[in-house]
Amino acid sequence: MNAADPIIQISHINKYFGSFKALDDVSLDVTLGEKVVVLGPSGSGKSTLLRAINRLETISSGSIIVDGHDLYGPDEDINRIRMELGMVFQSFNLFKHKTVLENLTLAPIKLKKMEKGRAEEMAYALLEKVGIRDRADHYPVQLSGGQQQRVAIARALAMEPKIMLFDEPTSALDPEMIGEVLEVMITLAHEGMTMVVVTHEMGFAREVADQVVFMDDGAIVEQASPDSFFDHPVHARTRLFLDQIL
Amino acid sequence: MSDQEKIIEIGDGAAIPDPKDKGLISAWWIALIGTVSLLIILPLVKPDPYARVLSFVPDGILVTFKVTIASISLALVIGLLTGLGRLSKNRFINLIASLYVEVVRGVPLLVQLFYIYFALGRIVRVPDIVAAVIAMSFCYGAYMGEVFRAGIKSIDYGQTEASLSLGFNRRQTMAYVVLPQAWRTILPPVGNEFIALLKDTSLVSILAVADILRRGREYASESFNYFETYTMIALIYLLITLILSKLISNMEHRLSHYERR
Ligand SMILES: Nc1ncnc2c1ncn2[C@@H]1O[C@H](COP(=O)(O)OP(=O)(O)OP(=O)(O)O)[C@@H](O)[C@H]1O
Ligand SMILES: [Mg+2]
Repeated sequence: MNAADPIIQISHINKYFGSFKALDDVSLDVTLGEKVVVLGPSGSGKSTLLRAINRLETISSGSIIVDGHDLYGPDEDINRIRMELGMVFQSFNLFKHKTVLENLTLAPIKLKKMEKGRAEEMAYALLEKVGIRDRADHYPVQLSGGQQQRVAIARALAMEPKIMLFDEPTSALDPEMIGEVLEVMITLAHEGMTMVVVTHEMGFAREVADQVVFMDDGAIVEQASPDSFFDHPVHARTRLFLDQIL
Repeated sequence: MSDQEKIIEIGDGAAIPDPKDKGLISAWWIALIGTVSLLIILPLVKPDPYARVLSFVPDGILVTFKVTIASISLALVIGLLTGLGRLSKNRFINLIASLYVEVVRGVPLLVQLFYIYFALGRIVRVPDIVAAVIAMSFCYGAYMGEVFRAGIKSIDYGQTEASLSLGFNRRQTMAYVVLPQAWRTILPPVGNEFIALLKDTSLVSILAVADILRRGREYASESFNYFETYTMIALIYLLITLILSKLISNMEHRLSHYERR
């Protein structure tokens, strides 16, 4: 793979749920270190696209290449590819039966055969980074939504992924907790992480995104830098969407 | 949650006391004290035949326990496989598992017991107790399968997706993430099944297995003290199930630690 090649190459993918077309000829390239924010109305296919990138959703046609690996290549091990792709969910999905610390160490210990002491050391450092080190021995139910989401981000980072995928990470949060999660994501962005983020946080999109992608009815309608996207939207549907939410 | 209700219906074991439910706790205590008192007082007041029954039956208690423990262990393994089979996307595996459950559900346990016992007897000569264990676990494995299926289904699919997204495969996800959580949902009905199974092992007394009931029948037919014998036998079963239900409820309480804020 050439250094200039995109780390994610999505080419002409289609996705059907039965006869319903959820993704319609979507193509998108993401280069190393790039931050892509995906916007669009409810049901436009944002989650489906994001989940297609780590094959939580299988596509009906087209191709997706991540870090040189074809997601559907016959010799590829999807589990290995997924280790390169951290994912953060709207509903956190922390392992309920594990403490915060164990949530972070489980995958490195089992999948990377990392020694427990080292895994914990790294976990503490990550918890420090997301500002929640003092909750290491708590169970997820004992944390607020904002805290859980920060742990979820740290859990994904514990596998040292090359790419982070976020699916509306702040949508399930009380307004006063959104800031603390966005702050962690902004830090991550500044550190150079490659990120694909589905969100309704326009401030975040403006500040962090290199590319804004607007979807409607399963297709990418507009794709631009945040400045031109927000200040000079080309398509009528984009303008309509922006009028509704801004 | 209808699946949850269904699995609880299947077992007809003793009600497992809820640690918070004071009413049940006192019912449990009254039953326990009553049972223990009768087991002590009757033999003292009328040693013949009560004390003699008590000295005759203990061999049987051991056999009952052996059959129960062996059967439940095997049934848990069969149940896990059946539950996974019923949830499998593989049509064939799914069909086999479902067929097994349907057949077992539709045939009375005693008939199954006779059937497996004699069918097995035609093929291989195994000790009666082994045949009994195979028959019991064949039947209870199907019930356990439904318990496992409902328990696994009760776990939010988001847990599976989070695990897969970290790079765990399906099997690892089941082992590290889903089953440890499902166990919490599974334990109460498994506890019920355990107690129900222990009681149902009394059926194996018909197959020349010398369990509690068979020992009692042997004694009764020699001494003609039917009433006294079956009184003691009922009390012994009651004492065992009372203790077991308490143990299970304690274990359940301990397992729920991560759900407490
Ligand atoms: N498993 C599924 N089965 C059938 N239809 C589905 C499934 N998942 C998604 N869809 C449909 O596909 C379309 C796109 O869904 P998707 O979740 O990608 O939208 P979204 O843009 O993320 O919306 P939201 O903002 O509400 O999260 C929707 O119409 C949805 O109903
Ligand atoms: Mg969505």
